[in-house]
Amino acid sequence: MDPFTASVLSIVLLALLGLPVGHAMIASSILYLLLSGSDMGTAAEQLLNGMFSSYILLAVPLFILAAELMNAGNMTLRLLAFCNAFIGRFPGGLALVNVAQSIIFAGMSGSAIADAAGSGKMMQRMMTEGGKYPPAFAAALTASTAVIGPIIPPSIPMVIYALVSDASIGYLFLAGVVPGLLMGLVQVVIILVTARRRNFPVEPPVPLRALPRITFNAVPALMMPVVLLGGIYGGATTPTEAAAVAALYALLVSALLYRSVTLKSAYGSVLSSARTTASIGMLIAGSLVFNYVVTVENIPATLSAWLSGFDLSPVVFLLIVNAILLVLGCLLEGTTILLVIVPVFIPTAQALGIDMVHFGIVCVVNIMLGLITPPYGLLLFVMTSISGCKLSQIIREVLPFLVALLVALLLITLVPDLSLWLPRLFGYNG
Amino acid sequence: QEAKKLRFSAVFSEQDIRAQMMQKLAASVADFAKLELYYGGNLFKQTTEIIAIQRGNLEMGNVAPQDIATQIKEFSILTSAYLFRDADHLNSFFNSDAGAEMVALAEDKLGIHILGPTYFGTRQVGLRIDKEIRTPEDMSGVKLRMPGGDAWQFLGKALGANPTPMAYAEVYTGLQTGAIDGQDNPLPNVQNMKFYEVMDQIVMTSHLVGYDLLVISAKVWKGFTEEQRTAFQAAATEAIAWSTQQHLAREQELVGFFKDQGLAINTPDVEAFRSYAQKMYLDSAFSADWPEGMLDRINAL
Amino acid sequence: MLAVMFAAFIVQVAFRYLLNLPSGGASELTTIMWVWLVLWGAAFVLREREEIRFDFLISMVGPRLRRVMTILACAALLFLYGVSLPAAFDFVTFMKIQDTSYLDLRFDLVYSIYILFAVAILVRYAWLLWRALRGAPPEVARGPGEEAP
Ligand code: NA
Ligand code: NA
Repeated sequence: MDPFTASVLSIVLLALLGLPVGHAMIASSILYLLLSGSDMGTAAEQLLNGMFSSYILLAVPLFILAAELMNAGNMTLRLLAFCNAFIGRFPGGLALVNVAQSIIFAGMSGSAIADAAGSGKMMQRMMTEGGKYPPAFAAALTASTAVIGPIIPPSIPMVIYALVSDASIGYLFLAGVVPGLLMGLVQVVIILVTARRRNFPVEPPVPLRALPRITFNAVPALMMPVVLLGGIYGGATTPTEAAAVAALYALLVSALLYRSVTLKSAYGSVLSSARTTASIGMLIAGSLVFNYVVTVENIPATLSAWLSGFDLSPVVFLLIVNAILLVLGCLLEGTTILLVIVPVFIPTAQALGIDMVHFGIVCVVNIMLGLITPPYGLLLFVMTSISGCKLSQIIREVLPFLVALLVALLLITLVPDLSLWLPRLFGYNG
Repeated sequence: QEAKKLRFSAVFSEQDIRAQMMQKLAASVADFAKLELYYGGNLFKQTTEIIAIQRGNLEMGNVAPQDIATQIKEFSILTSAYLFRDADHLNSFFNSDAGAEMVALAEDKLGIHILGPTYFGTRQVGLRIDKEIRTPEDMSGVKLRMPGGDAWQFLGKALGANPTPMAYAEVYTGLQTGAIDGQDNPLPNVQNMKFYEVMDQIVMTSHLVGYDLLVISAKVWKGFTEEQRTAFQAAATEAIAWSTQQHLAREQELVGFFKDQGLAINTPDVEAFRSYAQKMYLDSAFSADWPEGMLDRINAL
Repeated sequence: MLAVMFAAFIVQVAFRYLLNLPSGGASELTTIMWVWLVLWGAAFVLREREEIRFDFLISMVGPRLRRVMTILACAALLFLYGVSLPAAFDFVTFMKIQDTSYLDLRFDLVYSIYILFAVAILVRYAWLLWRALRGAPPEVARGPGEEAP
């Protein structure tokens, strides 16, 4: 067996045996170096130099911290109250709140996991209180609404895509807005249909005179996307700095305005985001090392030569990429796919004249769907542990949403204007 | 005898003119060396290639003179502004005795053999404001985006401007919103990144002749026979010369293109800029490590 | 320690924005913090259940098979990390010939966290292996449905 095959098999095997994915990738890359007689110090070299030279990745821990501080500071809670006041009164009210909340929260967090773990936890509790909704439905809904988070800016996966593709982060962020809203829309359709069929409850209407106070309370939280995007497009901050500003803003609002953050709870937030950063960071580290193996074996060139040998049209190519990414999304983690697999397609996509920003949106939507596709879906795991439901129950409930989101993905793939209309409005010329 | 496997890593992309240069070189030396070409910094990240060569994990690279200067301080002179007048001057330096001394220094201290300078364009100032620029004094108060890092920021000052660091990918938006008044890059970059759409004029300051160095591990180099070394060097020189010509032609063509796009192309008093910048370098800590008399020898070429 | 690192991280970037300091030193510090945060965190702070892993298979099998799987995984990791440790040490010490560009820190010191990380992981997995061999239930697996911390 050649060293490359051995190392790929080793990743699959070690991951199945239950080793953390990052360690499985590092260990298997070492196996490759060992079998091919190379310098095994290269594993350390690639990991350290890779992490050291990727300034852009600094946005990852900062966005995680921002989301964490928002939860600690009750910003999320106030947002929920705001959404509930306006749309709780419709059929499937709380379910709709879940969608709306995800869309607004999406403007602040950069990560679907942070979204599900933070606001998702609260949504789950609200929806299942007094047996209003079946817990598995609530969990499935929360998982599938959380995937909107990284499509609407800001977004950690898009930052990573920008890293591998050289596309502008600013335009990528803009391009995600319409597709993100579209994904929310298809979820609303599913909820309305299900609500009628299963007779979901309506929330008691919030009295009109309470609305101003609830809205007022939510304003600082609602301002967050404005502050962030304004900063980026006004030229005041780069996206990496915007991540830091977001964290700072969340801290200031929570501490000074809401007075709901103590030094102790802020410390707790920092600690818990540090933990999340470390576990996501290990995945990135593993990918950086394995990326060397893939490069030195010329896998990207081979694959893209193979693909270009078919003389594909851009649409067919995009559909094939969708199919490949969806299958891989069932097996691999999103960051790994972005760092290792997506770069394989980029040269061919460029040669076919596919817009790099549009391609990025297609890839990121794909990877987000991978988070809720069984059997390996990180969000499904997160919601299993939050809700206490069986994985199989959640999978059954998530299927209608998955199908609807796949339809949305198809639209986003076939109609580039859905992604590119907004960036062009802001001067993008692709 | 089997052809020796030589791994080459560069930051430029597979679509770059210099990727074609490498393919030409690979074809010319195919009977005794098998070049494996990796682009886009995928194999080794920018600035890490030299160490990879030193540790025997890489045989060839296209490295910035700045990266050599991190290990050999004397090389910092070769990264300063207004040193080389143009691509010809750059080449004649590397063919001169002074150039040979620097090449030998790299071979002794780093264990890398320099095959030649790979020119990729001359940096010019591009502005979104229509202020007339003749001398460094006219640049006063101009917010000029320069790459991050002390040396680059100093270069901005040596042009008389107010240097502002900003990530390369954000420059377009910066010019559009007015966060910066201008940027400095070779013309092909201005075209690639569409900066010209948000600029009013290009000031042909020609302040930095941009080049990297095509290098090969000294150990591999010494392992070649005398005949192979001669053949390899000849092939490298030819491929580099071809690439330089391509770049010069492209720059020439782009001047016309930018004019058609409605940009003003102005040539300032380059000598005034040159003496201002050289004086600033000599008065600064940046010139502390420069080899004695090297500046004069280069100026005299 | 982790909290301090993270706070420094935020303050640095925030400073850079608020005061518009063109300080490469600050961004270099944050980059170093990021490398240290991930490797330090993975080595000393993260608990088994917090790591991202594919626990689908391991949560389906019985405790006996689960133990065998854990033993195999730990042994493979110990072997591969162990066999590469000298080479990693060689790389890190080699880096002493370079300094970071702003803070002028020696790179071997900056990168020493990798050695710390590798050794800590070796110790940790040796312990996990020991526990699995002695028959303790592997903490590595968390079945679906179990309450998260
Ligand atoms: Na949600
Ligand atoms: Na988002």
